[in-house]
Amino acid sequence: MIVYLAKRIAAVVGILLVICAVTFVIFYVVPSDPAIQACGKTCTPERVAEVRAQMGLDKPVWEQFGVYVVGIFAGRTLGAGIECGIPCFGFSYQNSLPVWDLLVDRLGTSVSLAIGAAVLWLIVGLTVGIISALRQGTALDRTLMIATLTSASLPVYFVAMLLLLFVVRIAEILPYPAYVELAEDPVAWASNLILPWFTLAALYAAMYARLSRAQMIETMSEPYIRTARAKGLPERTVVVKHGMRAAMTPIVTIFGMDLGGLLAGAMITETVFGLPGIGRLAYDGIVKADQPVILGTTLLAAFFIVIANLVVDLVYAVIDPRVRYS
Amino acid sequence: MSGTTRIAGGLLAAALVIGVAGCGSSKSPTASGGEPATGTPTKGGTLTVLSNQDFSHLDPTRNWTMPHMDFGIRLLYRTLTTFKSEPGAAGAEVVPDMATDLGTPSQGGKVWKFTLKDGLKYEDGTPIVADDIKYNVERSFAPELPGGPNYAQVYLAGGDKYKGPLKGERLKSIETPDDKTIIFKLKRPVAEFSSTVTLPTFAPVPKAKEAGAQYDNRPFSSGPYKIETYDRGKELVLVRNEHWDPATDTVRKALPDKIVVKQGLRQSVIDDRLIDSRGDDENALTYSDVSAASLAKILPKPETRARLISEISGCTDMLGFNTTKAPFDDPKVRQAVHFALDKQALQTAEGGPDMAEIATAYLPPALSGGQAQDVYGLPQTGDVEKAKALLGGKTLDVGMTISTGDKLVGEAVQSSLKRVGINVTLNPVDPSVYYDTIGDTAKTPDMFIYGWCPDYPSGATFLPMIFDSRTIVEKGNSGNVWQFKDKAVDAKIDEIQAMTDGDAANKAWVELDKQIMEASPAVPFMWKKKPLLVGKGITGAYGHPVWSGQLDYATLGVKQK
Amino acid sequence: MTALSTPETAPPVAPAATGRSPSRLIWDRIRRDRAAVFGMAIIVLFVVIAVTAPLLTMINGWSPYDFDPSAIDKKLAGVPKGILGGISAEHWLGVEPVSGRDIFSRVVYGAQISLLISVLAVIVSVLVGTVLGLLAGYFGGWIDAAISRVMDLLMSFPSLIFMIALISVMPDGNRILLLVAIMGGFGWPYIGRIVRGQAITVKHREYVDAARVGGAMGPSILFREMLPNITAPILVYATLAIPTNIGTEAALSFLGVGVRPPTASWGQMIQESMVWYEVDPMYFIIPGICLFLTVLAFTLFGDAMRDAIDPKGGRR
Repeated sequence: MIVYLAKRIAAVVGILLVICAVTFVIFYVVPSDPAIQACGKTCTPERVAEVRAQMGLDKPVWEQFGVYVVGIFAGRTLGAGIECGIPCFGFSYQNSLPVWDLLVDRLGTSVSLAIGAAVLWLIVGLTVGIISALRQGTALDRTLMIATLTSASLPVYFVAMLLLLFVVRIAEILPYPAYVELAEDPVAWASNLILPWFTLAALYAAMYARLSRAQMIETMSEPYIRTARAKGLPERTVVVKHGMRAAMTPIVTIFGMDLGGLLAGAMITETVFGLPGIGRLAYDGIVKADQPVILGTTLLAAFFIVIANLVVDLVYAVIDPRVRYS
Repeated sequence: MSGTTRIAGGLLAAALVIGVAGCGSSKSPTASGGEPATGTPTKGGTLTVLSNQDFSHLDPTRNWTMPHMDFGIRLLYRTLTTFKSEPGAAGAEVVPDMATDLGTPSQGGKVWKFTLKDGLKYEDGTPIVADDIKYNVERSFAPELPGGPNYAQVYLAGGDKYKGPLKGERLKSIETPDDKTIIFKLKRPVAEFSSTVTLPTFAPVPKAKEAGAQYDNRPFSSGPYKIETYDRGKELVLVRNEHWDPATDTVRKALPDKIVVKQGLRQSVIDDRLIDSRGDDENALTYSDVSAASLAKILPKPETRARLISEISGCTDMLGFNTTKAPFDDPKVRQAVHFALDKQALQTAEGGPDMAEIATAYLPPALSGGQAQDVYGLPQTGDVEKAKALLGGKTLDVGMTISTGDKLVGEAVQSSLKRVGINVTLNPVDPSVYYDTIGDTAKTPDMFIYGWCPDYPSGATFLPMIFDSRTIVEKGNSGNVWQFKDKAVDAKIDEIQAMTDGDAANKAWVELDKQIMEASPAVPFMWKKKPLLVGKGITGAYGHPVWSGQLDYATLGVKQK
Repeated sequence: MTALSTPETAPPVAPAATGRSPSRLIWDRIRRDRAAVFGMAIIVLFVVIAVTAPLLTMINGWSPYDFDPSAIDKKLAGVPKGILGGISAEHWLGVEPVSGRDIFSRVVYGAQISLLISVLAVIVSVLVGTVLGLLAGYFGGWIDAAISRVMDLLMSFPSLIFMIALISVMPDGNRILLLVAIMGGFGWPYIGRIVRGQAITVKHREYVDAARVGGAMGPSILFREMLPNITAPILVYATLAIPTNIGTEAALSFLGVGVRPPTASWGQMIQESMVWYEVDPMYFIIPGICLFLTVLAFTLFGDAMRDAIDPKGGRR
């Protein structure tokens, strides 16, 4: 088990390094020159060269990459006496802040959004899925499945705009979303996030409902369920203890991956609702060609995805006794 | 020696802003054109500013984007001189701010001396001294702090070698004999130096607060407000600077107790919030331009229309050519485009005649004696027959690079040139790389869109910046992006710049405008207005003509609740 | 890098019990599924619309790129004249605000682009994923390890951020091909994993062994013996990946890196119509419904196909 874990963690570090390198190289060869951009209007070539040297962009790409990677673990001092503490992910040109500070600052929003939406979609999605499975073939099942299909087929921003139009503008039930820190005002935090939560959950709940229904139907037709029933166990116990437990295992995998992806920012939802999360930060970084920010957000997102993968595999072993590590 | 491309840059570049704005006659029925929005100004309350973006720089050394300059200068730092807080033409008048007067020139305008007022203090109560202004001017030379106005580098003697004060070196051509006196020694006479020192470069920065690039996040206040918190891209909170003495300040009213800037919102959401103007949004306003689609909601209703501020931005939007390459190295082909362009379609794309006026010359009306010069006298939709005649039956395939936010304008150009047999392939690029692409002389596209705004109301900040062939650089080129090279024009520019009579110079600029229009290195097509919506409780709102029509933050107030 | 049995290694198609061929059996099952037939009808409808786009716009008389200034209110930010976004005999589905371009023509050409991009991207991912998945599954060892690592790597990329960043910095060229390449490039590991899992399962079936004993060589076993037996799950995956790609194309357009103007795609139309949703709701409802119907149709059809192939029901 420990050997397995060590191997997996080594692989995680390896993947992140490769992603870092790929991202680094791609943005090194792009047409846009951050030095010219930072220099501003009517900048003389000499001054551009000075600015470039100041930003450390005059060095060969491998050297810049080395400095970057070392900086993550050891921190570094940037020009003009700016200390970039461990872990140093570079310094944002546009925001005049270390990228790590920005990431930490924005993480709260993305985590609030992801967790809230996840709770919502798990409750709704699994409930709908299980009910549908247990009432398979009835009118209720069919109605629920049509609803989930519809919901899953709508683009995220479409749902977002409809919610804004009806809930905020016409019915005036909720305020225009504007992120409030949880610690600052929990009620405002929640009421401002309700729409983004629903938007994301609408998509995922539909997917989870369909998935859990299929899993549940399959599990309930397994022989051991028949055995359990034959033993005279109450139907409730059969469904909850035997059926659901087995049916949920594959869902855990998918849930882990989805949550991992969302923790690092739901770009569209954050953009539509103007939420200052990691996805929005990444998007702004791209629009403003702020390469340290693009690199930082990409790495953070990849980190979440890879870690989610790892956690899922570990959790899998706990809930599914058939899985053994080789 | 630069105009404010950034402004136009801002307009063209902001992908998040669906480029609207308009330009229009001052007779427009909106609340622009002089009358501040209604309401009695009272002190107190919280003003909420809603924005789809973050400030590019608040560090006075680096702040060179029109609306951000307005915000910084009116709220956070004071400059030697500044513009009056008045709507319309009166706002273009320069008045003393930290200085007691507009400065005393000597040696024919090569040396300028300013004396500071008494009682000027920073947010911690320490007095503002002349050396702090010198220090900030020096900072604009530092490669660690790029992006700000480069007037000091261009005008000040010894500016070529100097690399900024961060390593301890000082600039000799600025003298501060005592704490109240500052003397600038220039390379050549600059008659308008009183206007030059309105730029944020001439605000004070105390050396003790130096934080390099991170000063951007917490500029130390010399103005009526100080920064309480600044969460970049999310929220900026300003509170009163108790040490600012209104007796020393004739322009800033400083009415609200608190100013909260909410950033990174979606423009359509900002517009809807302000149209509704419910609850706290009564005392809110937009920092970024209202979107075209929202204008369709605002204009039909008198109530919302009265709250729409739309001051002329003072910038000219142009369709530029790469004049070094076929087919646009031929002036005839460029003129043909001039004739073929359907400027009315472009006007619609900018929100219609209320929001944008069709441009018929490079110089905006404010720089040509209040009257627009019409050199070609074309119908608004163009003259297809004349254009075809100029082309002589040729058909052309050309490329046009646009910023992704300018899609509609690009499509309108494409559609109108198709009428005369010019097929345009649009190449939208990310705003982040747009100016790099145009400014790289090896890669300049056949056609592109470019805007220019004067830094202060003078023809000298316009035509020389964009048509003088001696300013062209190989990479990062800006201003003369069409690479227009005409010896006669260069000579004329030198001649006018040497003139001492302001009126004669202004007339000469208008003449030069006509001369360049005939060579047609670019087609001016739009003078836009800046459409901004304010909540029901906002008082004293008007667009300031100098800062491209952005609201004058010196006079804004909110209704008390 | 998973050291455990992943749920993707679904068992291959059960051999048909009756005399009918498996594909015939599947087809019959699909035909009896009303939802699948509905989905199929919509798919056929949009494919026909896409293919006959030039003809349709000839009938209606508007190219998707023609401006019609007479159909919009130039004084009012270019709002379409008339009710329902300017729906009239002249403009069957109304016009775009500002430009006055015909929405019917743009939707019809948009169908072409949206379907083309998503289908081509699926073809790319299926081709790459199948070949590499088969190789990995059949040969195992270091080949498997290498291919699996690449798949892990690609799946760990935050793909949306990366796609946008990549497209926005790429030099100009054919934007449609770029979209296809990038979407296909990030999509193939998903199918690669499924195929690899299937290949491992199939590898030791009797008929493969028989072929091997019969002297068949690697490539021949791979493509002649193994591939036909795993086409069903590939088809299901491909069908379900099309709506995902349509959605991705729309999302990329929404974030500003879609097809190049003045080309129309549904995603781009929706993106542009968003700000008009209140003033001119038809502008965003029309392409929105097209997008919704297509995604729904492919999902219905794909689901039905999966159920038909593996009647026990849903796996991912």
